[in-house]
Amino acid sequence: MIRPIVLLACAAAALVAQGVPDLSGVWIVRGSANLPDDLPYRPEALKLWQARKANLSKDDPAAYCLPNGVVRVTSLPYKIVQTPQLLVLLSEGNTHSFRRFFLDGRAHNLDLEPNSWTGDSSGKWEGTTLVVDTIGFNDRSWLDDTGKPHSDQLHVIERYRRSDAGSLEVQYTLEDPKFLTRPYSFTRTFVPANREIQERFCTEQNHLVAK
Amino acid sequence: MKKIYLVAAFSLAAASLLLPQDDIKITGKVITPPGAAAPKGLPPAGPKGPVPHMPDGKPDLSGIWNGQRALPNQEPPVMLPWAEKLTAERTNNYSADDPEARCLPGGVPRAAPYHYQLVQTPKLLLMLFEGNIHSYRQIFLDRREHLKITEPLWYGDSIGSWSGEGEGTALVVDTVGFNDKFWFDMAGHPHTTQLHVIERYHRRDFGNLDIGVTIEDPGTYSKPWTIQRVSTLETEIEMSEYVCNENNSDVLHLVGK
Repeated sequence: MIRPIVLLACAAAALVAQGVPDLSGVWIVRGSANLPDDLPYRPEALKLWQARKANLSKDDPAAYCLPNGVVRVTSLPYKIVQTPQLLVLLSEGNTHSFRRFFLDGRAHNLDLEPNSWTGDSSGKWEGTTLVVDTIGFNDRSWLDDTGKPHSDQLHVIERYRRSDAGSLEVQYTLEDPKFLTRPYSFTRTFVPANREIQERFCTEQNHLVAK
Repeated sequence: MKKIYLVAAFSLAAASLLLPQDDIKITGKVITPPGAAAPKGLPPAGPKGPVPHMPDGKPDLSGIWNGQRALPNQEPPVMLPWAEKLTAERTNNYSADDPEARCLPGGVPRAAPYHYQLVQTPKLLLMLFEGNIHSYRQIFLDRREHLKITEPLWYGDSIGSWSGEGEGTALVVDTVGFNDKFWFDMAGHPHTTQLHVIERYHRRDFGNLDIGVTIEDPGTYSKPWTIQRVSTLETEIEMSEYVCNENNSDVLHLVGK
């Protein structure tokens, strides 16, 4: 089990070593995992969201063990493993998968995966904030449990900051000219989960997935 | 995105299982796994160059590696009668009940034909799998004792420590705490929850990772089963996002006999 005090000590040591903040640790979202309900949707997108709510989320990709994508998070822990060149975000819940933030200065490359669930993420440090830019999405993931939609034009900018020793603040900015009338921002705060992430495979015991 | 061409390759392999000349027999203790014939030669070597090192002097295993490939001419496992019978049944039933084909984890030490990425820090070695499921395995380098496992796991509890000196330095990974659900390969070699896997990862040079696997499971094998494998460094292609549950066409074809 990782206790907050240990996290603090590790963070301090790594900050000295790399000259950048250490975001490592096992984190869990504080409060609701859902987005606020005031997204500036265009009428067509609003209609899609309302249809998903009206049919009781029956087509929720997560119910079929498909990935949550980037903006949608679960209330289960996430683990950040950080190296100078790469940051890995491990998810306990949903598909028990991972995202990679390339910190080596490479440009976006969508040749291999033009439209994927988690897109192509590159990060760079702006002072003590890690700014992660992601494009290359499909239009199948939901932005949260209520079914808020996005198009394949989605562009996500995440700003990761250790706002204080015991929390990780992430500000999300969503640009989606097809579905949103203007860029939209909201912030989540993650706090230490105080435990290691556990094995959890959606496909096991899920009757909606072919066995 | 699911790799259609790989699915196609497997479909071809699966189709070849159905050919009558692929005679499946129990030949002494040896099961001939259809579609998974022993390799006839060494895989092409990876790029040459010096082994990269971590700031603490340990070899750095980080990189995107091609799927682990077994070396030719290896000793087959020596199974207890129940395991030999079960493997033959699974093989004869065209691997229809393979959990891996249903998007469940491959477990340890099943080798997938997909890329995997190793991410190394002083305290942790991460294995990120492209497929079969796009998941991960953690190998803890900062503790010497296993956790008390109350619920058996697909990937078990893995702890790693460095062994040897200089160019011979290798990471020895010790894993216990497994469930008995996964198959070791397409032939269906089984195991019990007594399974103990020891893997030895030695980055021989820049582009070649030698992997020695020892499988100990007195409930299934009458002596430890050792396998030598190699992975080569992938320097051209990034890992893709392989989502097994998306358009999984395998299940429809896994009908058995």
